This record gives sequence, C-alpha cells and structure tokens, in this order.
Amino acid sequence: MKNKRLLIITTIICLALLVAALPVFSACGPKEKTLKVGIMTPTTGVAAEKGVPLRDANLDCIEYINNELGGVNGYKIKALNLDSQYKADQAVANIKKFMDDGYLFFTTSSSTEMGYVQAIANRAGFPGLVAYSSPSNYHPPEHIYGQMPDYGDDWSAFAEYYVKNIWQGTGKPKMALHLLNNPTGAGAKNAAKALADKLGIEIVDIEEHAATTQSETESLVRIKAKNPDVLYISSTPKPTAQIIKNAVELGMFPGITIGVCHAAMTKALVDLAGADIAEGVYGVFPTVSWGEDVPAMAKMTEYCQKLHPKDYGNMDYVAAWAQSLVIAEILKKALDNVGYDKLAKGDAKAWEAIEKYGFQKLDSYNVGGLQSPVSYTAGDNRLGKSLRIFQVKSGKITAITSWQEAPLIKYEEFDWYGK
Amino acid sequence: MAEFLQFFITGIAVGMVYALIALAFVLIWKSSSVANLALGQIVLLSSWFTYSMLVQANLPVWLALPLVIIFALFLGWVIERFTLRPLIAQPILSLIAVTLGIGYFIEGIITFIWPWSVDALPRLFPRDVIHIGPAVISQEYAWVVGICLFVFVLLTLFFRYHKMGIAMRATADDQMAVQACGIPVTRVFSRSWMFACVVAAIGGVLISSIGGITHGLIETGLKSFSVVILGGLDSFGGAIIAGPIIGLCESLGGGYLTPYTWAGVKDIIPFVIIIIVMTIKPYGLFGETRIERI
Amino acid sequence: MSLPCGIRNYTYARDMTILRTRTHWALFTGLLALLLTAPLYLGNYWLGVGNLIGITLIAALGLNILVGYCGQLSIGHAGFIAVGAYTSAILTNRFELPFLIGLISAGITAGIIGIIFGLPSVRVKGFYLAITTIAAQFIIIWVINHWGLTGGFEGINVPYASIGGLVFDNDAKQFYLIMVIAALGVFFAKNLARTKIGRAFIAIRDNDLAAEVMGVNLLYYKLLAFFIGCFFAGIAGALLAHWTGTLSAEQFSFTESILYVGMIIIGGLGTTLGPILGVVFIRILQQLLTVEVVPWLEGTFTMFPAGFASGVAPMFFGLVIVLFLILEPRGLAHRWALLKAAYRLWPFSY
Repeated sequence: MKNKRLLIITTIICLALLVAALPVFSACGPKEKTLKVGIMTPTTGVAAEKGVPLRDANLDCIEYINNELGGVNGYKIKALNLDSQYKADQAVANIKKFMDDGYLFFTTSSSTEMGYVQAIANRAGFPGLVAYSSPSNYHPPEHIYGQMPDYGDDWSAFAEYYVKNIWQGTGKPKMALHLLNNPTGAGAKNAAKALADKLGIEIVDIEEHAATTQSETESLVRIKAKNPDVLYISSTPKPTAQIIKNAVELGMFPGITIGVCHAAMTKALVDLAGADIAEGVYGVFPTVSWGEDVPAMAKMTEYCQKLHPKDYGNMDYVAAWAQSLVIAEILKKALDNVGYDKLAKGDAKAWEAIEKYGFQKLDSYNVGGLQSPVSYTAGDNRLGKSLRIFQVKSGKITAITSWQEAPLIKYEEFDWYGK
Repeated sequence: MAEFLQFFITGIAVGMVYALIALAFVLIWKSSSVANLALGQIVLLSSWFTYSMLVQANLPVWLALPLVIIFALFLGWVIERFTLRPLIAQPILSLIAVTLGIGYFIEGIITFIWPWSVDALPRLFPRDVIHIGPAVISQEYAWVVGICLFVFVLLTLFFRYHKMGIAMRATADDQMAVQACGIPVTRVFSRSWMFACVVAAIGGVLISSIGGITHGLIETGLKSFSVVILGGLDSFGGAIIAGPIIGLCESLGGGYLTPYTWAGVKDIIPFVIIIIVMTIKPYGLFGETRIERI
Repeated sequence: MSLPCGIRNYTYARDMTILRTRTHWALFTGLLALLLTAPLYLGNYWLGVGNLIGITLIAALGLNILVGYCGQLSIGHAGFIAVGAYTSAILTNRFELPFLIGLISAGITAGIIGIIFGLPSVRVKGFYLAITTIAAQFIIIWVINHWGLTGGFEGINVPYASIGGLVFDNDAKQFYLIMVIAALGVFFAKNLARTKIGRAFIAIRDNDLAAEVMGVNLLYYKLLAFFIGCFFAGIAGALLAHWTGTLSAEQFSFTESILYVGMIIIGGLGTTLGPILGVVFIRILQQLLTVEVVPWLEGTFTMFPAGFASGVAPMFFGLVIVLFLILEPRGLAHRWALLKAAYRLWPFSY
C-alpha cells in the first residue's frame, strides 16, 4: 500500500509539472529577426497535382531571396509551409496557427482553400494573398487580395479576344459553357452572366460536370444540338481533356473553337488529351511560359533544375515563384514605410500595417516579367489584372497575344450574385 | 432519335467499365464474404504501377503488362496474408473497417511514390472512332467491352468447372465444412484475393488508358458498388448485366433529365438506384437471398 | 463496472453511480479544472484543435450509439453532420433566427434525415446497410451542392454563434460552449446505455432476430438509433458551422466518414470512453503529423522526390487502423480497462 501511495503522488507531481511547463513549450524558439509569412498549399489530397509544384516554387524562390539577395532589406523571410490537404478543417487549423504564431500575412494557392478561411481572416483583419483566385474571394473586397486574374477574368478576356480576333461571321457568336461543379466553373458562369450581352455574345447552353467524369458525350450531344460557334470549358485538366476528346469523337472539334481557363491550360492537359487531339485549343494563362525572355526566367530555371527538376515546364511553378516575388515586394514596401519593429510583433496592428503599407502600396511591380504587373487600386482587390491568350501548337502551349487587361466586374452590384 | 442511340451506346460502354471493377468485388465476396472497400485504391495503385512500367522504366508493352499482372498477384497475396489472415473469424465490421484502413494506406503509398497525382498513360489503342449509324464510340471503349466480357466468361467457367473455383464457392458457403474436407481455406482466400487484384488491375489499365490516372478513379470505384448491389453481391452475371443498366440509366437519365432538372443530375443516379434497390429488392437482381436463423 | 477491491455496494443508488470512489471524484474534478482553465494556457491554435476535438467527439458519440450499441453499420456520418451544419447555417444566415433555435433544429433535421435513410435498416443488415449509408452520404452532398438555398458550390457564410447578448467570437469562448455541449452529450450517451432503450439496442446488436422474438420492436428501436445518432451528428454539424465560419460541401467528404468509423473502432465500440479516446488520439495524431512531422521529414530527406512525405499521413492512418483491428480489436477503451485492472490487482496482475 505504501508503494501505491508513492506511485499516486509521483504521478500527480509529474502531471502538475507538465501542466506548468506548457506555456514554456509554446514560447521557446530561437529569436532572430525574421519576417514571418504563412504559405498554405494543397500538397496532399485531391489537388496535389497542382499543390506540389506550387509549394516547390514558393519555397525555392524564398530560398533564392534569402540566400542570394540577403532577404528583404537584410531581413530573412521565414516561411512556414502548411499542407491544407484541400480540406476545410485543415485549412482553418492552419490559418489559426499562422494567426497565433505571429505571422504577418498568409498566402494560399487556390480559390477553394481561400474560400474556407476567408471568413476567419476577414473577421480578424489578417491579410491574405491567393494565387488562383475566384471572384467570391474578394467580392465584396476586404482583406483578401488576388495575385492573378480570377476565373471570371479568364472568361471575359477570352470572350473579348474571341469576338475581336477569331469570330468571322455576322451577328452574335453563340457560346456554350461547360463548367466544373465548384468555384472554378462558377467564376466563369458569373462573368458570363454579367458581361455576355455587353460583349455581344449569346450564351446558348450551360452544362456542368464533375471532376471525376468518365465521359461527357451526352452533355456534348446536347451542346451540339444548339449549334454553338465556341465552347468555353472552365475546369481542371482531366475533365477538360475528357471533354475535348469526346468533342473530337463527336466530330465537333476541330470545327468549333474551344477555349479553356487557366486551371486547365497546362502541360497536363496536353499529356492527358494527347497532343494531336488538343491541337488548336485556345486558353488563357496569367503568367509567361518557360523559356521566354523575361528578367526572372534565368534564376527560376536555375533553381528549378537544381532543386526540383521534375517541375520544369510546369506552369504552376511559374505562378508560385511569382507569388513569392510578390510576397517579397509586399514585405519590402511595408518595411520601407513603417520599419521592422512595428511588423515584428505579428499582431493585429502589424497586420493592419502590412495591409495598408504593403499590399495597398503596390504600384506596377513587374514581378520579374513573369506575370502581369501588380498594382493596387482602391475597390479592386485584384493585384494582377492582365493575362495572355495561348494556343496549343504542335503539343506546346504558345502565347499568341500580349498582356490583355481584364475589366473589373463589380459582382456585388448584381442582385443575382451570391444567391 | 440519333441522340438516343448515342446515349445508349455511351451508356453501355461506361457501364461496362463499372462492371469490370464490380467483377473484382464480386470475386472476393463470392469466395470469402469480405466486402472489399479498398477496391478503388487497388485500381489506382495498379494504374500507377502500369505508368511506372510503361513510362518511367520505358518497357515495351508486351513486357510491361505481364509485369503488371504479376504485381497485382503479389499485391493481392500481401493484402490477404498480412491483414485479412489474422482476422479470419472476426465480425463483419472489423473486416470492413480493415479494408477501409487498407484503402487509406494504399492512398498514402500512392502519394508517397508518385506525388504528382495526375498523369497519362501512353496511348494503347488507336484513335479512330467506330461509327454505328449516326452515333460514335471510341475504340478504347470497344476494347473495354470486349475485355470485360472475356474476363466474365473466364471467371464464370473458372468458378463452375475448375477445382479451385468450386473450392472458392464452397468456402463462401461454409468454411468449417470445407476445412473438414481438407481444403486449405487460407490458400483459397489467398487465391481469390490474387485473382481479384488482377481483375482490378486490368480494369485500372483500361480505364486509365481512356481518361488518365487521377484520384477520381476511387470515386469510380464507389460507383461500381451500385452495380454490385443491383446485380447481386455474389453473381458475376448480375454484375455484367447490372453494369450496362447503371451506365444506361446514367446516360439516358443524364441526357434527358438534365434540361428539366438540375445540371449534374447524372452523378447522383447510381446512388439513388442503390437506395431504391435496397428498399425493394435488397439482394439485387441475381443475388441469392440469405436466410438467417437464430 | 469493475471496482477496486474492498468497495462494496449496499444500495441500488450506490451501484448505479458513474463516479463511485473518492479517487474517481478527485480525478474527475482535476480533469474539469484542467479543461475549464484551458484557455488560460493554450494558444489559439491548440484551442482550435480542442474545439475540433469537442465537435468530433459529439459526432463520434452519435456514431457510437448507432454502430457500437445498436450494430447498424453506417459509413455516411459526414453526410448527416453536413445536414446539421447547413440547417444551422441557413437558419442563422438566411432567416436570421437565433443560434439556439438553429442548433436544436439542426439536430432534429439531421435526425429526421437519418430516419429516412435508415429505413432500409429494417430490411438489410451489415454490409448492405453500409452501402446504403454510403449512398445516403453522396446523395446528401449532391443535394447540398445543387440547391440554391445552401449556396450551391460557392458555400455559405455563417455568423458567429450568440446566446442572448453573448457572442462567441473567439476560440476561447467557443471552447466553453463546445465543452459544455460535449459534456452533456457524454453524460447522455453514458446514461442511454443503462436504460431500457440502451438495453434494447444492445439486444439488437447481438442478435436482432432473437431480440424480435423477445418482444423488442425492431422498427421502432432501429429508427430511434438512427435518430439519436444523427441528432448528435446534427448538433456537431451546427457547432462546426459556427466554428469554421464558412461552409462548403467539400468539407464533408466520404473520407471523413471513413475517419469517423476508424475513430470509434480505434477508441473501442460500445463504450462511452471509447469515442473520447479515439477522437483525441486521431485528431492529435492528425495535427502532429501535418504540422510537425511532415515538414520535418521534407526538410531532412531531400533526396526523395518532392512531396513524398505528404503521403505519410494517410499511410500512417491506414496502418494505425489496420494494426488496431488486428492487434486490439476491442480498441483503446479495452486497453484502458485492462490497465486499470492491472493497476488495481498489482502485484498480482498478469
């Protein structure tokens, strides 16, 4: 019995010590002067095909900035990359960790991840930057900023280009939309609803598909019956490839024009569909292609070949490298305007400072030529507003235009928006 | 009318794809009464392995495909030996949960070895389409239908005439009696899992040559559950017939209902069919009704 | 309940109490003190994890009643949680009703949907019922995605929970709310097992034909099990909606349902302690893997292709579920009971 009492007392003491030591655990860590940024990417789960190159480029570029440029104004960037697994509860847990541990702002890769966390971020005033955005992320505009044009802008830029340069008939061209059943598709649908009349396009059919579709022949049969001149597909590479293949089988393509959004205009589309089937497909993309002559291409190629050679040629790598350059520029602007000490605390005041003096002071930063220049204009949380039209030629995705600016659509002013 | 023919043909083709995966499921159920909920993941793993052989190791087709079959045999053996053998007499919840765990585990392995989650197989079939009246069907689907029927015939003959096939059916009926007769039950289980994985691998190769290798193969695996339920869990013939039926319902339902109801109604049809079948005829069209006694 | 040596019960009331000895009371008070003072020493992130554990616990308790006590295999639980979450979201966002009404209606709606999809349980059992619940999950998610009222694919924003004038706008306040409701849930589930309804459930699980012969009304009790299980899921869903702030159907995937089944199996079916242990174990494992282990692995083993370590989490989970089922099919609760017995009988335990 004496032994048992001793055992109980020892256990209680150990537990008490553990409880007392908890605050110590959360507070320990090296104290050097860094700028902390949270980076969220979907490196596992259903979006891992995009998440892995996005994460690789984000971290490679930050390594480049820290090692070769000595950080931002001498301060190193300390980036924490967390995997959102493309799931809401994990994304929410991640953003709480960012907010808790004194990070200055956060970035996500996709509109869906941002959609999961934007309510929390907006309520706390924690600014965020999203690479592939959707209008729902920043309409109405609060603390979330889009690095590149969104899926709605994709549609409007492509539609405008089509009407001006490809359409050769008389009257209004007829367009059919094939949308993925998530914000990617919804972005294009909303833009079409808002702008189709003004651009002079008649939308004859809107079809939807799931990301796991095996065959879209039956929906294409319906579309074929309406005799459209152009088909716009707003989806990810695999369903887009499936639709294009089925359209070829039905004899619709080549014949009508097919345009795809930036999520699909990647090497994966050409691989999945086959270079001969995808030949001639138009698409938009907000960044340059590999091998173009722009200032940042050399360093990006060098780091990519050195650290992640499998990602060479992947457009998502370019987008995330550009995102890290924008991160550095935001930090630089904020440091120039308010200084390190105010930002070091990483609390709500620091977030306000980063937003007002970092994000909102961006003015024609050229992001090494990799994407359209980023600027902030009041009322428009899109930082990058232009994209280029591409076409698949001999299995390669080649640019056929220069930067086209996509117009600002104030979705919140339409009463059908958000219902 | 031309639309109807197109919907009809596409429906049957897609349905045969489901039926192929369903055959693998029925095989395991018929021989060991285990519900293999990891089927989608096994299909995905075999597809990735095929990709490895054909693209990463650059082997010619006539060498790569037999290697895939050998891999599938090995996979089936490993799964059965290490996870199902210890659980031989456990209640059904444990077996189902174990297959769920195996599914999770295989997903992890796939992400571990091939982290870039989407890729395409090199084209195995010619590109031209076959015209049947005003409708078209791509050659890939024709091959799928053909191979599926071939596998079905093979399996039915095996289960009816081959010694091991009859042993499998006996084991599903009464394990203890089979053991009393001297047939090694563990070997029967092992063989059935190995064959099921081979069928799943064949299905995986065919499906991914059509649409590429993506995570969505797992959802396709779930849809083939509706084929299994409709056809009856322990009937090959049921799977072959129910597959096209489900494919047709999807295709025709999607084709004709979508303009009147919601876009995307096509996705939900297999699951609604499951609920309807469960309420009306729980054992499916061709399944055996189970009689329970206290 | 097994008691230490030397404790005897002389009245029914004594026999039926949950906390019997002084040690029980002391440990219980200690645990309560620890939980109630948690916001003082845990940061926002760990409080968030605690909230997630609380919400998952409520849902897991419901699933345990359905699967563990009544034996109705259900792999569609995430769908019912989604029903609760969206009901509460719609009522508080679109119709601007108070939070408490949203909470109760979420539970009731989920329960009713549970009854509807549980109707096949009267005809089928075991695996067939599992397939039906999988189908139910997909149908529910599809309806959520395609119904305008639920915001379709873009999701719906959910305002903060508020009772009277008190707004639960940070993790600490939500922690108290969720802990109180979780405690009520645990208490209810524990008592349910000891009543007539609980005994009927257990009879149905063990052999439903015999139960029917004995006079247990199968239809009534099976549907009641679905109702109670999905009621808990609905409440958990409503709390989840207000905690996350925004809902989209992708949060309630089939993988989540599998995870719930895994949680209660690892914890131990058919006990009240089981879901608690299982939920805590799995959620903390998830957080540690995602936040600590994976970045460390990525950093250390750079020779492997990029992104290799992200497969570690599902691999580990699958392995844990399989190993638990093979080695300890009765779950962590059983291990805990063995540990207690060993401790009490020491040095004669073996």
